[in-house]
Amino acid sequence: MKRWLFFLALLALAGWWLTRPVGFAPGDVSERTAGHVPDLANGERLFNAGGCASCHGRIEDGKPQRDIMAGGLEMTSPVGTFRAPNISPHPDQGIGGWTALEFLDAMQRGVSPQGRHYYPAFPYASYARMEATDLLDLKAYLDGLPASDHVVGGHELSFPYSLRRGIGLWKRLYLDADPVIEVASGDAVLERGRYLVEGPGHCGECHTPRNFAQAMDPGRWLGGAPNPEGEGRVPNITPGRASFGDWSADDIAYYLESGVDPDFDVVGGSMVAVQENMARLDAADREAIAAYLKALPPVE
Amino acid sequence: MKRTVLIALALLPVSLATASDDPIAQRQDLMSETREALKPLIGISRGQADFDAETVSASLAVFANTAEKAPALFPEGSETGGDTEAKATIWSDRDGFDQRFQDFAEAVAAAQAANIASAEELGPKLQDVLGTCKGCHDNYRVEKE
Ligand code: HEC
Ligand code: HEC
Ligand code: HEC
Repeated sequence: MKRWLFFLALLALAGWWLTRPVGFAPGDVSERTAGHVPDLANGERLFNAGGCASCHGRIEDGKPQRDIMAGGLEMTSPVGTFRAPNISPHPDQGIGGWTALEFLDAMQRGVSPQGRHYYPAFPYASYARMEATDLLDLKAYLDGLPASDHVVGGHELSFPYSLRRGIGLWKRLYLDADPVIEVASGDAVLERGRYLVEGPGHCGECHTPRNFAQAMDPGRWLGGAPNPEGEGRVPNITPGRASFGDWSADDIAYYLESGVDPDFDVVGGSMVAVQENMARLDAADREAIAAYLKALPPVE
Repeated sequence: MKRTVLIALALLPVSLATASDDPIAQRQDLMSETREALKPLIGISRGQADFDAETVSASLAVFANTAEKAPALFPEGSETGGDTEAKATIWSDRDGFDQRFQDFAEAVAAAQAANIASAEELGPKLQDVLGTCKGCHDNYRVEKE
Protein backbone atom coordinates (compact mmCIF):
# COMPACT_ATOMS: atom_id res chain seq x y z
CA MET A 1 0.00 0.00 0.00
CA LYS A 2 2.65 2.47 1.06
CA ARG A 3 4.64 1.46 -1.95
CA TRP A 4 1.73 2.22 -4.26
CA LEU A 5 1.34 5.64 -2.77
CA PHE A 6 5.01 6.24 -3.33
CA PHE A 7 4.73 5.25 -6.99
CA LEU A 8 1.63 7.36 -7.47
CA ALA A 9 3.39 10.34 -5.99
CA LEU A 10 6.38 9.69 -8.22
CA LEU A 11 4.13 9.40 -11.25
CA ALA A 12 2.36 12.65 -10.39
CA LEU A 13 5.70 14.33 -9.94
CA ALA A 14 6.94 12.96 -13.26
CA GLY A 15 3.71 14.10 -14.89
CA TRP A 16 4.08 17.54 -13.37
CA TRP A 17 7.65 17.69 -14.66
CA LEU A 18 6.78 16.35 -18.12
CA THR A 19 3.89 18.75 -18.64
CA ARG A 20 5.62 21.91 -17.42
CA PRO A 21 5.78 24.81 -19.90
CA VAL A 22 9.28 25.16 -21.36
CA GLY A 23 10.28 28.39 -23.08
CA PHE A 24 13.52 29.25 -24.82
CA ALA A 25 16.68 29.95 -22.85
CA PRO A 26 17.22 33.72 -23.19
CA GLY A 27 20.78 33.18 -24.42
CA ASP A 28 19.54 30.92 -27.19
CA VAL A 29 17.27 33.62 -28.62
CA SER A 30 19.78 36.44 -28.37
CA GLU A 31 22.29 34.23 -30.15
CA ARG A 32 19.88 33.54 -33.02
CA THR A 33 18.96 37.19 -33.41
CA ALA A 34 22.23 38.97 -32.58
CA GLY A 35 22.61 42.27 -34.41
CA HIS A 36 19.32 41.90 -36.28
CA VAL A 37 17.70 45.14 -37.43
CA PRO A 38 13.91 44.67 -37.88
CA ASP A 39 12.71 44.83 -41.50
CA LEU A 40 9.09 46.03 -41.59
CA ALA A 41 8.44 45.00 -45.20
CA ASN A 42 9.48 41.46 -44.33
CA GLY A 43 7.34 41.65 -41.18
CA GLU A 44 4.29 42.50 -43.29
CA ARG A 45 5.09 39.62 -45.65
CA LEU A 46 5.10 37.19 -42.70
CA PHE A 47 1.94 38.74 -41.28
CA ASN A 48 0.27 37.87 -44.61
CA ALA A 49 1.89 34.47 -45.00
CA GLY A 50 0.98 33.62 -41.40
CA GLY A 51 -2.66 34.66 -41.73
CA CYS A 52 -2.63 36.45 -38.36
CA ALA A 53 -5.50 38.75 -39.41
CA SER A 54 -7.71 35.78 -40.39
CA CYS A 55 -7.96 34.86 -36.70
CA HIS A 56 -7.00 37.98 -34.75
CA GLY A 57 -8.53 40.75 -36.90
CA ARG A 58 -11.37 42.80 -35.43
CA ILE A 59 -14.78 41.47 -36.47
CA GLU A 60 -17.03 43.42 -38.81
CA ASP A 61 -19.95 41.92 -40.79
CA GLY A 62 -19.06 38.61 -39.17
CA LYS A 63 -15.61 38.55 -40.80
CA PRO A 64 -12.17 39.34 -39.38
CA GLN A 65 -10.63 42.52 -40.83
CA ARG A 66 -6.95 43.18 -41.56
CA ASP A 67 -6.46 46.61 -40.00
CA ILE A 68 -6.70 46.17 -36.21
CA MET A 69 -5.76 42.96 -34.37
CA ALA A 70 -8.44 43.40 -31.71
CA GLY A 71 -9.38 39.71 -31.65
CA GLY A 72 -12.77 38.21 -30.78
CA LEU A 73 -13.25 35.62 -33.53
CA GLU A 74 -15.05 32.57 -32.14
CA MET A 75 -13.69 29.26 -33.34
CA THR A 76 -15.92 26.26 -32.69
CA SER A 77 -14.27 22.87 -32.31
CA PRO A 78 -15.30 19.47 -30.97
CA VAL A 79 -13.82 20.38 -27.56
CA GLY A 80 -15.55 23.76 -27.28
CA THR A 81 -15.25 27.38 -28.40
CA PHE A 82 -11.92 29.22 -28.64
CA ARG A 83 -11.77 33.01 -28.80
CA ALA A 84 -8.87 34.64 -30.61
CA PRO A 85 -7.19 37.10 -28.22
CA ASN A 86 -6.39 40.76 -28.81
CA ILE A 87 -2.81 40.91 -30.19
CA SER A 88 -2.81 44.63 -30.95
CA PRO A 89 -0.01 46.66 -29.27
CA HIS A 90 -2.35 47.77 -26.44
CA PRO A 91 -0.39 47.57 -23.15
CA ASP A 92 -3.22 45.96 -21.12
CA GLN A 93 -5.60 44.21 -23.51
CA GLY A 94 -3.09 43.39 -26.24
CA ILE A 95 0.55 42.36 -26.41
CA GLY A 96 2.11 45.83 -26.23
CA GLY A 97 5.25 45.75 -24.13
CA TRP A 98 6.03 42.07 -24.69
CA THR A 99 9.74 41.38 -24.98
CA ALA A 100 11.17 39.58 -28.00
CA LEU A 101 11.71 36.51 -25.82
CA GLU A 102 8.08 36.50 -24.63
CA PHE A 103 6.89 36.80 -28.24
CA LEU A 104 9.12 33.96 -29.43
CA ASP A 105 8.06 31.74 -26.51
CA ALA A 106 4.42 32.29 -27.49
CA MET A 107 4.92 31.82 -31.24
CA GLN A 108 7.23 28.80 -31.13
CA ARG A 109 6.97 27.10 -27.74
CA GLY A 110 3.31 27.87 -27.06
CA VAL A 111 4.16 29.39 -23.67
CA SER A 112 2.60 32.63 -22.37
CA PRO A 113 4.51 35.33 -20.46
CA GLN A 114 2.77 34.00 -17.31
CA GLY A 115 4.27 30.58 -18.03
CA ARG A 116 1.04 28.87 -19.17
CA HIS A 117 0.55 26.61 -22.18
CA TYR A 118 -1.36 27.87 -25.19
CA TYR A 119 -3.79 25.59 -26.98
CA PRO A 120 -2.61 24.38 -30.37
CA ALA A 121 -5.69 26.07 -31.91
CA PHE A 122 -3.09 28.85 -32.09
CA PRO A 123 -0.96 27.24 -34.83
CA TYR A 124 2.40 27.53 -33.02
CA ALA A 125 3.16 23.90 -33.95
CA SER A 126 3.71 25.33 -37.47
CA TYR A 127 5.16 28.72 -36.48
CA ALA A 128 7.78 26.72 -34.50
CA ARG A 129 9.52 26.23 -37.87
CA MET A 130 9.95 29.97 -38.51
CA GLU A 131 13.27 31.82 -38.39
CA ALA A 132 13.74 33.83 -35.18
CA THR A 133 14.73 36.91 -37.21
CA ASP A 134 11.52 36.63 -39.27
CA LEU A 135 9.56 36.64 -36.00
CA LEU A 136 11.33 39.78 -34.84
CA ASP A 137 10.36 41.46 -38.12
CA LEU A 138 6.78 40.28 -37.63
CA LYS A 139 6.73 41.64 -34.08
CA ALA A 140 8.01 45.02 -35.28
CA TYR A 141 5.21 45.09 -37.88
CA LEU A 142 2.53 44.17 -35.30
CA ASP A 143 3.87 46.84 -32.93
CA GLY A 144 3.18 49.42 -35.64
CA LEU A 145 -0.52 48.50 -36.09
CA PRO A 146 -3.20 50.46 -34.19
CA ALA A 147 -3.78 49.51 -30.52
CA SER A 148 -7.25 48.40 -29.41
CA ASP A 149 -8.61 48.13 -25.87
CA HIS A 150 -11.17 45.52 -26.92
CA VAL A 151 -11.62 42.93 -24.17
CA VAL A 152 -11.96 39.36 -25.43
CA GLY A 153 -13.71 36.76 -23.25
CA GLY A 154 -12.11 33.44 -22.37
CA HIS A 155 -12.48 30.11 -24.16
CA GLU A 156 -15.40 27.82 -23.34
CA LEU A 157 -14.02 24.30 -23.33
CA SER A 158 -15.27 21.04 -21.93
CA PHE A 159 -13.41 19.15 -19.19
CA PRO A 160 -10.62 17.92 -19.31
CA TYR A 161 -9.66 20.18 -22.23
CA SER A 162 -10.28 23.19 -20.03
CA LEU A 163 -7.07 22.23 -18.17
CA ARG A 164 -4.07 23.72 -19.94
CA ARG A 165 -1.51 21.62 -18.15
CA GLY A 166 -2.22 18.52 -20.26
CA ILE A 167 -1.00 20.37 -23.35
CA GLY A 168 2.52 19.94 -21.95
CA LEU A 169 2.46 16.25 -22.75
CA TRP A 170 1.08 16.92 -26.22
CA LYS A 171 3.93 19.31 -26.87
CA ARG A 172 6.56 16.82 -25.68
CA LEU A 173 5.24 14.32 -28.19
CA TYR A 174 4.41 16.54 -31.15
CA LEU A 175 5.99 20.00 -31.01
CA ASP A 176 8.85 19.71 -33.47
CA ALA A 177 10.68 22.51 -35.26
CA ASP A 178 12.27 20.20 -37.86
CA PRO A 179 11.02 20.25 -41.46
CA VAL A 180 8.40 17.61 -42.30
CA ILE A 181 9.40 16.80 -45.87
CA GLU A 182 12.90 16.21 -47.27
CA VAL A 183 13.60 18.37 -50.32
CA ALA A 184 16.65 18.30 -52.59
CA SER A 185 19.21 20.17 -50.53
CA GLY A 186 20.52 23.30 -52.16
CA ASP A 187 17.30 23.85 -54.15
CA ALA A 188 16.52 27.36 -52.96
CA VAL A 189 13.03 27.45 -54.52
CA LEU A 190 11.88 24.19 -52.90
CA GLU A 191 13.41 25.21 -49.58
CA ARG A 192 11.59 28.54 -49.69
CA GLY A 193 8.32 26.77 -50.61
CA ARG A 194 8.77 24.32 -47.76
CA TYR A 195 9.48 27.11 -45.32
CA LEU A 196 6.36 29.05 -46.31
CA VAL A 197 4.04 26.01 -46.32
CA GLU A 198 5.32 24.15 -43.24
CA GLY A 199 6.11 27.28 -41.20
CA PRO A 200 4.23 30.59 -41.44
CA GLY A 201 1.62 29.38 -44.00
CA HIS A 202 0.53 26.58 -41.58
CA CYS A 203 -1.15 24.80 -44.51
CA GLY A 204 -0.85 21.46 -42.70
CA GLU A 205 -3.13 22.64 -39.89
CA CYS A 206 -6.12 22.26 -42.23
CA HIS A 207 -4.89 19.99 -45.05
CA THR A 208 -3.18 17.25 -42.97
CA PRO A 209 -5.26 14.56 -41.23
CA ARG A 210 -4.80 14.31 -37.45
CA ASN A 211 -4.17 11.30 -35.25
CA PHE A 212 -6.13 10.36 -32.10
CA ALA A 213 -4.24 13.04 -30.15
CA GLN A 214 -5.20 15.76 -32.66
CA ALA A 215 -1.61 16.00 -33.94
CA MET A 216 -0.90 16.32 -37.69
CA ASP A 217 0.08 12.95 -39.18
CA PRO A 218 3.44 13.47 -40.95
CA GLY A 219 2.93 10.23 -42.89
CA ARG A 220 -0.12 11.70 -44.64
CA TRP A 221 1.22 15.25 -44.91
CA LEU A 222 -1.25 17.56 -46.73
CA GLY A 223 -3.25 14.45 -47.72
CA GLY A 224 -6.67 15.95 -47.00
CA ALA A 225 -8.73 15.96 -43.80
CA PRO A 226 -12.26 16.35 -42.49
CA ASN A 227 -13.24 20.00 -42.33
CA PRO A 228 -12.79 21.17 -38.73
CA GLU A 229 -15.80 23.45 -39.22
CA GLY A 230 -18.03 20.40 -39.62
CA GLU A 231 -19.39 20.03 -43.15
CA GLY A 232 -17.28 18.79 -46.05
CA ARG A 233 -13.57 18.06 -46.41
CA VAL A 234 -10.35 19.99 -46.80
CA PRO A 235 -8.85 18.60 -50.03
CA ASN A 236 -5.72 16.52 -50.53
CA ILE A 237 -3.14 18.87 -52.11
CA THR A 238 -0.47 16.27 -52.87
CA PRO A 239 0.08 14.88 -56.39
CA GLY A 240 -1.59 11.66 -55.10
CA ARG A 241 -5.09 12.97 -55.83
CA ALA A 242 -5.57 12.68 -59.59
CA SER A 243 -7.73 15.77 -59.98
CA PHE A 244 -5.12 17.88 -58.16
CA GLY A 245 -2.06 16.11 -59.57
CA ASP A 246 -3.20 17.44 -62.96
CA TRP A 247 -2.68 21.07 -61.89
CA SER A 248 0.58 22.52 -63.20
CA ALA A 249 2.80 24.58 -60.89
CA ASP A 250 1.57 27.60 -62.84
CA ASP A 251 -2.08 26.61 -62.15
CA ILE A 252 -1.35 26.42 -58.41
CA ALA A 253 0.44 29.78 -58.37
CA TYR A 254 -2.43 31.40 -60.28
CA TYR A 255 -5.00 29.88 -57.90
CA LEU A 256 -3.12 31.34 -54.93
CA GLU A 257 -2.99 34.72 -56.68
CA SER A 258 -6.59 34.91 -57.97
CA GLY A 259 -8.70 32.21 -56.29
CA VAL A 260 -9.61 30.78 -59.71
CA ASP A 261 -8.76 27.11 -60.33
CA PRO A 262 -7.89 25.49 -63.71
CA ASP A 263 -11.58 24.60 -64.21
CA PHE A 264 -12.49 28.27 -63.66
CA ASP A 265 -14.21 27.44 -60.38
CA VAL A 266 -13.77 30.02 -57.62
CA VAL A 267 -12.28 29.23 -54.19
CA GLY A 268 -14.59 28.82 -51.20
CA GLY A 269 -14.72 28.03 -47.48
CA SER A 270 -11.86 28.83 -45.12
CA MET A 271 -9.43 28.78 -48.07
CA VAL A 272 -10.74 32.19 -49.22
CA ALA A 273 -8.97 34.04 -46.40
CA VAL A 274 -5.79 32.01 -46.99
CA GLN A 275 -5.87 32.73 -50.73
CA GLU A 276 -6.42 36.45 -50.17
CA ASN A 277 -3.34 36.45 -47.94
CA MET A 278 -1.32 34.53 -50.54
CA ALA A 279 -2.35 37.10 -53.15
CA ARG A 280 -0.40 39.69 -51.13
CA LEU A 281 2.89 37.79 -51.32
CA ASP A 282 5.53 38.25 -54.00
CA ALA A 283 4.94 36.17 -57.14
CA ALA A 284 8.20 34.33 -56.44
CA ASP A 285 6.84 33.15 -53.08
CA ARG A 286 3.66 31.77 -54.68
CA GLU A 287 5.80 30.02 -57.29
CA ALA A 288 7.94 28.49 -54.53
CA ILE A 289 4.83 27.18 -52.75
CA ALA A 290 3.58 25.70 -56.02
CA ALA A 291 6.93 24.01 -56.69
CA TYR A 292 6.93 22.50 -53.18
CA LEU A 293 3.36 21.15 -53.54
CA LYS A 294 4.29 19.54 -56.87
CA ALA A 295 7.31 17.89 -55.22
CA LEU A 296 5.35 16.41 -52.27
CA PRO A 297 5.25 12.65 -51.66
CA PRO A 298 1.86 11.63 -53.08
CA VAL A 299 -0.84 10.67 -50.57
CA GLU A 300 -3.52 8.44 -52.11
CA MET B 1 -33.40 18.20 -89.94
CA LYS B 2 -36.96 17.19 -89.16
CA ARG B 3 -35.60 14.31 -87.23
CA THR B 4 -33.45 16.49 -84.97
CA VAL B 5 -36.42 18.73 -84.32
CA LEU B 6 -38.47 15.69 -83.37
CA ILE B 7 -35.76 14.42 -81.08
CA ALA B 8 -35.39 17.82 -79.56
CA LEU B 9 -39.15 17.97 -78.99
CA ALA B 10 -39.11 14.52 -77.48
CA LEU B 11 -36.39 15.54 -75.08
CA LEU B 12 -37.92 18.87 -74.19
CA PRO B 13 -40.51 17.78 -71.64
CA VAL B 14 -37.95 15.61 -69.90
CA SER B 15 -35.43 18.38 -69.44
CA LEU B 16 -38.14 20.82 -68.45
CA ALA B 17 -39.40 18.35 -65.91
CA THR B 18 -36.01 17.79 -64.29
CA ALA B 19 -35.23 21.47 -64.47
CA SER B 20 -38.38 22.64 -62.79
CA ASP B 21 -38.41 19.86 -60.21
CA ASP B 22 -34.91 20.14 -58.97
CA PRO B 23 -33.61 23.48 -57.80
CA ILE B 24 -30.28 21.85 -56.89
CA ALA B 25 -29.60 20.82 -60.50
CA GLN B 26 -30.86 24.18 -61.74
CA ARG B 27 -28.64 26.27 -59.52
CA GLN B 28 -25.63 24.08 -60.27
CA ASP B 29 -26.27 24.52 -64.00
CA LEU B 30 -26.50 28.25 -63.51
CA MET B 31 -23.20 28.30 -61.57
CA SER B 32 -21.60 26.15 -64.30
CA GLU B 33 -22.72 28.67 -66.93
CA THR B 34 -21.14 31.31 -64.73
CA ARG B 35 -17.88 29.37 -64.72
CA GLU B 36 -17.98 29.10 -68.54
CA ALA B 37 -18.52 32.84 -68.78
CA LEU B 38 -15.56 33.45 -66.49
CA LYS B 39 -13.20 31.46 -68.70
CA PRO B 40 -12.69 34.03 -71.52
CA LEU B 41 -12.34 36.87 -68.99
CA ILE B 42 -9.50 35.06 -67.25
CA GLY B 43 -7.87 34.38 -70.61
CA ILE B 44 -7.97 38.08 -71.50
CA SER B 45 -6.79 39.29 -68.11
CA ARG B 46 -3.85 36.87 -68.16
CA GLY B 47 -2.87 38.04 -71.66
CA GLN B 48 -3.58 34.59 -73.12
CA ALA B 49 -6.34 35.93 -75.39
CA ASP B 50 -6.89 39.24 -77.16
CA PHE B 51 -9.26 41.78 -75.67
CA ASP B 52 -12.72 41.65 -77.21
CA ALA B 53 -15.43 44.00 -75.93
CA GLU B 54 -18.27 41.74 -77.11
CA THR B 55 -16.91 38.72 -75.29
CA VAL B 56 -16.60 40.77 -72.12
CA SER B 57 -20.13 42.12 -72.28
CA ALA B 58 -21.54 38.68 -73.10
CA SER B 59 -19.82 37.22 -70.03
CA LEU B 60 -21.02 40.04 -67.80
CA ALA B 61 -24.56 39.46 -69.08
CA VAL B 62 -24.32 35.82 -67.97
CA PHE B 63 -23.16 36.96 -64.53
CA ALA B 64 -26.07 39.40 -64.30
CA ASN B 65 -28.45 36.59 -65.22
CA THR B 66 -27.00 34.39 -62.46
CA ALA B 67 -27.32 37.17 -59.91
CA GLU B 68 -30.96 37.60 -60.88
CA LYS B 69 -32.09 33.97 -61.11
CA ALA B 70 -29.98 32.14 -58.53
CA PRO B 71 -31.44 33.53 -55.27
CA ALA B 72 -34.78 31.81 -55.98
CA LEU B 73 -33.09 28.44 -56.50
CA PHE B 74 -32.29 27.85 -52.83
CA PRO B 75 -35.82 27.17 -51.49
CA GLU B 76 -36.51 25.48 -48.15
CA GLY B 77 -36.29 21.74 -48.70
CA SER B 78 -33.28 21.91 -51.03
CA GLU B 79 -30.73 21.87 -48.22
CA THR B 80 -29.51 18.38 -49.05
CA GLY B 81 -29.65 15.98 -51.96
CA GLY B 82 -27.83 15.42 -55.21
CA ASP B 83 -24.23 16.42 -54.72
CA THR B 84 -25.12 19.85 -53.45
CA GLU B 85 -22.29 21.94 -52.04
CA ALA B 86 -24.70 24.42 -50.54
CA LYS B 87 -23.95 24.98 -46.86
CA ALA B 88 -26.57 24.90 -44.11
CA THR B 89 -25.75 28.55 -43.32
CA ILE B 90 -27.76 29.57 -46.42
CA TRP B 91 -30.94 28.65 -44.57
CA SER B 92 -29.86 29.70 -41.08
CA ASP B 93 -28.66 33.12 -42.32
CA ARG B 94 -30.87 33.86 -45.31
CA ASP B 95 -30.42 37.63 -45.10
CA GLY B 96 -26.65 37.34 -45.18
CA PHE B 97 -26.85 35.02 -48.17
CA ASP B 98 -29.21 37.29 -50.10
CA GLN B 99 -26.93 40.22 -49.30
CA ARG B 100 -24.03 38.35 -50.95
CA PHE B 101 -26.09 38.00 -54.14
CA GLN B 102 -26.82 41.71 -53.91
CA ASP B 103 -23.08 42.46 -53.60
CA PHE B 104 -22.44 40.24 -56.62
CA ALA B 105 -25.16 41.97 -58.69
CA GLU B 106 -23.72 45.38 -57.80
CA ALA B 107 -20.16 44.45 -58.74
CA VAL B 108 -21.40 43.09 -62.08
CA ALA B 109 -23.51 46.21 -62.74
CA ALA B 110 -20.50 48.43 -61.98
CA ALA B 111 -18.40 46.44 -64.46
CA GLN B 112 -21.14 46.74 -67.09
CA ALA B 113 -21.44 50.50 -66.56
CA ALA B 114 -17.68 50.98 -66.91
CA ASN B 115 -17.66 50.24 -70.67
CA ILE B 116 -14.44 48.27 -70.32
CA ALA B 117 -12.23 48.90 -73.36
CA SER B 118 -8.97 47.09 -72.64
CA ALA B 119 -7.46 44.18 -70.74
CA GLU B 120 -5.94 46.69 -68.30
CA GLU B 121 -9.38 48.08 -67.50
CA LEU B 122 -10.85 44.61 -67.19
CA GLY B 123 -8.33 43.53 -64.51
CA PRO B 124 -9.58 45.51 -61.50
CA LYS B 125 -13.28 45.10 -62.39
CA LEU B 126 -12.81 41.35 -62.68
CA GLN B 127 -11.07 41.36 -59.27
CA ASP B 128 -14.09 43.12 -57.77
CA VAL B 129 -16.51 40.60 -59.26
CA LEU B 130 -14.37 37.64 -58.19
CA GLY B 131 -14.24 39.15 -54.71
CA THR B 132 -18.02 38.81 -54.53
CA CYS B 133 -17.95 35.19 -55.79
CA LYS B 134 -15.48 34.40 -52.98
CA GLY B 135 -17.40 36.54 -50.51
CA CYS B 136 -20.29 34.10 -50.89
CA HIS B 137 -18.41 30.83 -51.40
CA ASP B 138 -16.47 31.38 -48.14
CA ASN B 139 -19.49 31.12 -45.85
CA TYR B 140 -22.23 29.50 -47.93
CA ARG B 141 -20.58 26.79 -50.00
CA VAL B 142 -18.60 23.78 -48.88
CA GLU B 143 -16.18 21.56 -50.78
CA LYS B 144 -17.13 17.88 -50.63
CA GLU B 145 -14.09 16.51 -52.58
C1 HEC C 1 -6.13 29.63 -36.67
C2 HEC C 1 -6.27 30.83 -35.90
C3 HEC C 1 -5.00 31.60 -35.52
C4 HEC C 1 -4.04 32.11 -36.37
C5 HEC C 1 -3.94 31.96 -37.89
C6 HEC C 1 -3.13 32.84 -35.53
N1 HEC C 1 -3.51 32.77 -34.23
FE1 HEC C 1 -2.62 33.67 -32.65
N2 HEC C 1 -3.88 32.71 -31.38
C7 HEC C 1 -4.98 31.96 -31.74
C8 HEC C 1 -5.66 31.49 -30.54
C9 HEC C 1 -6.93 30.63 -30.51
C10 HEC C 1 -4.94 31.97 -29.44
C11 HEC C 1 -5.23 31.72 -27.95
C12 HEC C 1 -4.51 30.47 -27.50
C13 HEC C 1 -4.76 30.15 -26.04
O1 HEC C 1 -5.43 30.92 -25.35
O2 HEC C 1 -4.28 29.11 -25.59
C14 HEC C 1 -3.83 32.74 -30.01
C15 HEC C 1 -2.88 33.41 -29.24
C16 HEC C 1 -1.89 34.22 -29.76
C17 HEC C 1 -0.95 34.98 -28.95
C18 HEC C 1 -0.95 35.05 -27.42
C19 HEC C 1 -1.82 36.22 -27.02
C20 HEC C 1 -1.98 36.41 -25.53
O3 HEC C 1 -2.62 37.41 -25.16
O4 HEC C 1 -1.50 35.60 -24.74
C21 HEC C 1 -0.13 35.65 -29.81
C22 HEC C 1 1.00 36.59 -29.46
C23 HEC C 1 -0.56 35.30 -31.15
N3 HEC C 1 -1.62 34.44 -31.08
C24 HEC C 1 0.04 35.81 -32.29
C25 HEC C 1 -0.28 35.39 -33.58
C26 HEC C 1 0.43 35.83 -34.77
C27 HEC C 1 1.55 36.85 -34.79
C28 HEC C 1 -0.15 35.18 -35.82
C29 HEC C 1 0.25 35.22 -37.28
C30 HEC C 1 1.61 34.80 -37.59
C31 HEC C 1 -1.21 34.35 -35.27
N4 HEC C 1 -1.27 34.51 -33.92
C32 HEC C 1 -2.05 33.55 -36.02
C33 HEC C 1 -5.37 31.69 -33.03
C34 HEC C 1 -4.66 32.01 -34.18
C1 HEC D 1 -8.04 27.35 -42.55
C2 HEC D 1 -7.88 26.12 -43.25
C3 HEC D 1 -6.92 26.10 -44.44
C4 HEC D 1 -5.61 26.50 -44.46
C5 HEC D 1 -4.77 27.09 -43.33
C6 HEC D 1 -5.15 26.25 -45.81
N1 HEC D 1 -6.15 25.73 -46.57
FE1 HEC D 1 -6.03 25.29 -48.57
N2 HEC D 1 -7.99 24.77 -48.57
C7 HEC D 1 -8.83 24.79 -47.47
C8 HEC D 1 -10.18 24.44 -47.89
C9 HEC D 1 -11.42 24.36 -47.00
C10 HEC D 1 -10.12 24.23 -49.29
C11 HEC D 1 -11.29 23.93 -50.23
C12 HEC D 1 -11.61 25.22 -50.93
C13 HEC D 1 -12.96 25.31 -51.60
O1 HEC D 1 -13.96 24.86 -51.00
O2 HEC D 1 -13.03 25.88 -52.70
C14 HEC D 1 -8.72 24.43 -49.67
C15 HEC D 1 -8.24 24.30 -50.99
C16 HEC D 1 -6.92 24.46 -51.37
C17 HEC D 1 -6.41 24.26 -52.71
C18 HEC D 1 -7.25 23.85 -53.92
C19 HEC D 1 -7.36 22.36 -53.99
C20 HEC D 1 -8.38 21.89 -55.00
O3 HEC D 1 -8.24 20.76 -55.46
O4 HEC D 1 -9.33 22.62 -55.30
C21 HEC D 1 -5.07 24.51 -52.69
C22 HEC D 1 -4.09 24.44 -53.84
C23 HEC D 1 -4.74 24.87 -51.33
N3 HEC D 1 -5.88 24.83 -50.54
C24 HEC D 1 -3.47 25.22 -50.90
C25 HEC D 1 -3.19 25.68 -49.62
C26 HEC D 1 -1.90 26.21 -49.22
C27 HEC D 1 -0.67 26.30 -50.11
C28 HEC D 1 -2.03 26.58 -47.92
C29 HEC D 1 -0.99 27.24 -47.02
C30 HEC D 1 -0.43 28.48 -47.52
C31 HEC D 1 -3.38 26.29 -47.51
N4 HEC D 1 -4.06 25.76 -48.56
C32 HEC D 1 -3.87 26.55 -46.23
C33 HEC D 1 -8.49 25.10 -46.17
C34 HEC D 1 -7.25 25.62 -45.77
C1 HEC E 1 -24.46 34.58 -53.18
C2 HEC E 1 -23.73 33.36 -53.27
C3 HEC E 1 -22.88 33.01 -54.50
C4 HEC E 1 -22.24 33.86 -55.39
C5 HEC E 1 -22.23 35.39 -55.41
C6 HEC E 1 -21.54 33.00 -56.31
N1 HEC E 1 -21.75 31.68 -56.01
FE1 HEC E 1 -21.00 30.07 -56.99
N2 HEC E 1 -22.00 28.82 -55.73
C7 HEC E 1 -22.76 29.22 -54.64
C8 HEC E 1 -23.31 28.04 -53.99
C9 HEC E 1 -24.19 28.04 -52.74
C10 HEC E 1 -22.86 26.91 -54.72
C11 HEC E 1 -23.20 25.43 -54.45
C12 HEC E 1 -24.50 25.10 -55.18
C13 HEC E 1 -24.90 23.66 -55.00
O1 HEC E 1 -24.06 22.76 -55.15
O2 HEC E 1 -26.09 23.42 -54.67
C14 HEC E 1 -22.03 27.43 -55.81
C15 HEC E 1 -21.41 26.64 -56.77
C16 HEC E 1 -20.58 27.12 -57.76
C17 HEC E 1 -19.92 26.28 -58.76
C18 HEC E 1 -20.02 24.77 -58.86
C19 HEC E 1 -21.21 24.40 -59.74
C20 HEC E 1 -21.39 22.90 -59.91
O3 HEC E 1 -21.04 22.40 -60.96
O4 HEC E 1 -21.85 22.27 -58.96
C21 HEC E 1 -19.20 27.13 -59.58
C22 HEC E 1 -18.35 26.74 -60.78
C23 HEC E 1 -19.43 28.48 -59.10
N3 HEC E 1 -20.27 28.45 -58.00
C24 HEC E 1 -18.88 29.61 -59.67
C25 HEC E 1 -19.16 30.92 -59.27
C26 HEC E 1 -18.59 32.11 -59.90
C27 HEC E 1 -17.58 32.08 -61.05
C28 HEC E 1 -19.12 33.17 -59.25
C29 HEC E 1 -18.87 34.67 -59.49
C30 HEC E 1 -18.76 35.10 -60.85
C31 HEC E 1 -20.03 32.67 -58.22
N4 HEC E 1 -20.01 31.30 -58.26
C32 HEC E 1 -20.75 33.47 -57.35
C33 HEC E 1 -22.99 30.49 -54.23
C34 HEC E 1 -22.56 31.64 -54.89
